[in-house]
Amino acid sequence: MFSRWNWVACGFYLVLNICSPDASGGLVQSCGHIIPESPVLALGSNFTALCILNETCLDFGNIYANQIIWKIKNRVVPKEQYREVNRTVSSVTFNDTSSLATPLTCNILADGQIEQNIYGITVTVGLAPEKPKNLSCIVHQMSRFTYVMNCTWNPGRHTFLDTEFRLKYSWPEEVFPDCIPKGVNNSCTVNDIQFFVNTEIWVEAANALGKAESDHLVVDPVDIVKPLSPQNVSVSSGILPTVLKLSWENRVSNAVMTLKFNIRYRIIGNTSWMEVPSEDTASPRTSFSVQGLRPYTGYAFSIRCMKEDGVGYWSDWSEEKTGITTEDEPSKGPPIWRIIDASHSPASWTVHLMWKALKPFEANGVILQYEVTVRDKSCLSSPLKKYNVTSTNHTLQLPKGTYEVTLIARNSVGASPPSVLLIPARNSEAPVKNLRTLPKHDKLWVGWTAPNSYVLKYVIEWCLVSSSSDCIREWQIALGDVQGVDLKGIKPFKCYLITVYPLYADGQGSGQSVKAYLKQDRPSKGPTVQTKKVGKAEAVLTWNHLTVEEQNGFIRNYTILYKTIDGNETVVTVDPSKTEYTLSSLTSDTLYTVRMMASTDNGSRTGPDFTFTTQKFGKGEIEAIVVPVCLAFLLIVLLGVLFCFNKRDLIKKHIWPIVPDPSKSNIAQWSPQVPAKHNFNSKDQMYPEGSFTDVSVVEIEADDKKSFSEQDLKPFDLLKKEKSTSEGHSSGIGGSSCMSSPRQSVSDSDEGETTQNTSSTVQYSTVVLNGYRDQTPVQVFSRSESTQPLLDSEERSEDHAGGAESTAQRQQYFRQNGGQDENNADRPCFERAKQITHANEGDLVGFVQLQVSGQSSQPLGLGIEKNTEEAALSSVSQTCTEGQTVRPETVGENPLSVDDMPKSYLPQTVRQGGYMPQ
Amino acid sequence: MAAADSPSTALRRRDLCSRGIRLAGKMRADVVDLLDIYVEQQGLDASASVAAVEGVPLAAVERWDEQTGTQRLLENLAAYRAFRALLAQMLEEQREQLGEADAGLGRALAAVLLQVSAFAYHLEELLRLESRGIPGEEGDGPPPPPRLSLFEQKLRGLGVLRELAQWAVRSARDLRQLAKPSPATGTAPGLAESP
Repeated sequence: MFSRWNWVACGFYLVLNICSPDASGGLVQSCGHIIPESPVLALGSNFTALCILNETCLDFGNIYANQIIWKIKNRVVPKEQYREVNRTVSSVTFNDTSSLATPLTCNILADGQIEQNIYGITVTVGLAPEKPKNLSCIVHQMSRFTYVMNCTWNPGRHTFLDTEFRLKYSWPEEVFPDCIPKGVNNSCTVNDIQFFVNTEIWVEAANALGKAESDHLVVDPVDIVKPLSPQNVSVSSGILPTVLKLSWENRVSNAVMTLKFNIRYRIIGNTSWMEVPSEDTASPRTSFSVQGLRPYTGYAFSIRCMKEDGVGYWSDWSEEKTGITTEDEPSKGPPIWRIIDASHSPASWTVHLMWKALKPFEANGVILQYEVTVRDKSCLSSPLKKYNVTSTNHTLQLPKGTYEVTLIARNSVGASPPSVLLIPARNSEAPVKNLRTLPKHDKLWVGWTAPNSYVLKYVIEWCLVSSSSDCIREWQIALGDVQGVDLKGIKPFKCYLITVYPLYADGQGSGQSVKAYLKQDRPSKGPTVQTKKVGKAEAVLTWNHLTVEEQNGFIRNYTILYKTIDGNETVVTVDPSKTEYTLSSLTSDTLYTVRMMASTDNGSRTGPDFTFTTQKFGKGEIEAIVVPVCLAFLLIVLLGVLFCFNKRDLIKKHIWPIVPDPSKSNIAQWSPQVPAKHNFNSKDQMYPEGSFTDVSVVEIEADDKKSFSEQDLKPFDLLKKEKSTSEGHSSGIGGSSCMSSPRQSVSDSDEGETTQNTSSTVQYSTVVLNGYRDQTPVQVFSRSESTQPLLDSEERSEDHAGGAESTAQRQQYFRQNGGQDENNADRPCFERAKQITHANEGDLVGFVQLQVSGQSSQPLGLGIEKNTEEAALSSVSQTCTEGQTVRPETVGENPLSVDDMPKSYLPQTVRQGGYMPQ
Repeated sequence: MAAADSPSTALRRRDLCSRGIRLAGKMRADVVDLLDIYVEQQGLDASASVAAVEGVPLAAVERWDEQTGTQRLLENLAAYRAFRALLAQMLEEQREQLGEADAGLGRALAAVLLQVSAFAYHLEELLRLESRGIPGEEGDGPPPPPRLSLFEQKLRGLGVLRELAQWAVRSARDLRQLAKPSPATGTAPGLAESP
């Protein structure tokens, strides 16, 4: 209990001690302190600190050194490092200061629980400065009279402490103020430099842990001067075209030092410098004449200087100054070559002379003109021809022969040596052999094997091969003792045609050519392939060669790649000279994708895909199938036709009944609104002016066959005559009856006459038609009581009223008509009917359709056969389906057999009996 | 004495003479330049004749070629010590008159003063090489200058600089004479003859 109160009192006392102002006026009176106070320690050294408690705290708070706890930045120092010196002093030892941190505090553990801070110190850890090394100084000339000395050194390792560097220099009896670096620790600049006195220079480095001094440097500052470069450099050309004179001003006083110089120069545009030998400029001077220069060439000069004895430093190079040497006469003649065009005339040449402009170092000035001299060597007496040319080419028209061309270039100073070109009549000398090329970086080397004869020089021609433009030739000349040249300006991936001509003293060899690339690449595009022909199992592919611009190299081969949609790709390599290839062993009726690849030495390029489908059938397969099928079909058809022909009656009976054509109906033609279409040419010829107004239908008994004899037809004539006189006309009713009623209506103008004309065996139904054209027709239908079949007859009435003449005409008509039928017994009935119709065309106003009923089922035409009645009727009935039909009417005592049924159209409702009104 | 000269001593002497000659040349050039600045700054006439200034040793001497080496060195040393004191006084007076307004003249004066000091050091070294005692400065120094007016100060400065230029020429000749190898000993004849 006592102990607890004691600790509480102690803590209270500590707080009071720390927080209350002491007697001296301070805010805090600590219960202890640490020795040493805020030390600066060398990194890696050991360190011991003592915490000393005040006696007052001991007495009041029962605080002793064994209760002290050391801390480094809130981290308790292990107690192994503590040592209780006495009851008021505790020490802590660190073997390596690198483990130290700030702050180091001394704390007390009051009452075993409460930790109170007694004191703390700041620990600074660092390194002593190293000895500065590599001290060197250089005196820079700032102006004519101003020099500064800059010294640099290696300050050594980082000390982690504030370290001061001082550059010191002195004379034996004169100490100068130190130079203190600003912002850096490795250099300093001294302004007041005095020459010709040995100066001792050194560097001193100092911090809290020590001092270090560099080695002393004893030097006369004049021996470490880097002077300013000469100024106001000027270049002037002298009398000689190979000399330029340089002048300059030195910026170093002779009183300080004398100088030597370096002079460098280069041709303008060239980057490499040449130097005047140093021994030529080793003495003080302000001018120098540079010799051995090229005439009419621009040079740039630059100068530097240093102390004459070579002790010190070279100045920087002065700024460049340029000068141009004066002109000199050209040093050599221009290289000359020719292109001969012999296409215009067999006897003359067009000679294009061309030469290269001299290079500047050859021209030695501005070339003012060229002098071309042409001498005909085949005719020594011919005069020389001279031409003054300002360009670098000249064209001559010369007769074929051998010529010697001489070329001279002139500038303002003089003329060049002549260049001579021999143009022989023929290139008959030996050519070069083994012409070859080899790329060398950006140049193309062309080599050849020299001919056996001595060659003066070679001409190498080359041109860029293009598909779109002509070959523009370039050329150069090589001396006769070389067997290869480098061609410059060759573009990569372009094809060049290179030709080499050997020039002899007395002639010229023919050119040898080779194609070459400086550098190859893969083609810029692939070939576009397409099919020329596609079969069942093969396809003919075709493509165009790539243009030379697209090739980018020598095409070594083409590769065809083809595949089906789901199949593997097949590869075929094709010779590059081909433009067609046949793929075989293809699958029929299959879609193929094909593409083509062109390859050079440096790669390949594939063209676009092309698809095609092979055919389902091969060549001739379709024909082999179709032709037999067609033949079989034709055979079947033929057999069918033959069968039908044999069974034509049966077929006709069942499936091909005779259908009267209303358009061929006479009644239809009688309609005033319908113009007559039938051309009864024969009648028309016979009765050109005649026309029928009345139509009578005569029913004739079928068994009365004999009544169809000529004699029996005479009453018909009478009938016709009477009919012609009547004004009754058949109307459309007749047509209508023809179409729909089992019996055709017959109109008659006079029933009495009809009765008279048909005698007692025929009863006619009469259709009385009134009104022709402007007359109102009166249609009267009267049932015929006759049971005899009607004799189909057609008569035409004329417009005018009947008279004796008309009657006679009608009679004549019937007779003639009968006669005509006789003449035309072999012709089909409808043709005769047409003739009749046509005869009355135009004037026809009515029809008489005669229906004949009788035993004969065959319809009768208007005409009556000359031969037997049956034969006649039979023959007529086969063809007279479109004309007048005779509708058979069965009679009781003469029933018709099935075979005797009329073969013409017969409405089903009226198979027998007479006229059935609708 | 001369026979005892080691090669290093001879080399050292030659180096000191050579350096001294070049320093004298530089000093003369700088003094000539300084004279122009000084005349202009002080508003003096460059052609103005100045009577002999008290305390300024005269460069001109009779029978110069008969002097010994030591004599030459001693006269030179005395003269340059006097110039050092005079130039230091001029520099102080100039600073008092112009303050920092004309730093260029002050720097030039300081530079010449340094060169004078350096030349005096050369002479002392040469005398040491000759194993001659170096006279003390106190006794040989010029008497304290009387209090002069400002114009007189300017004129005196002009006289000092002009005489210094003369001395620079003479000193160069003296050192060349000293640097000449003696036919017998290889050393300056004057030195052997000096007392």
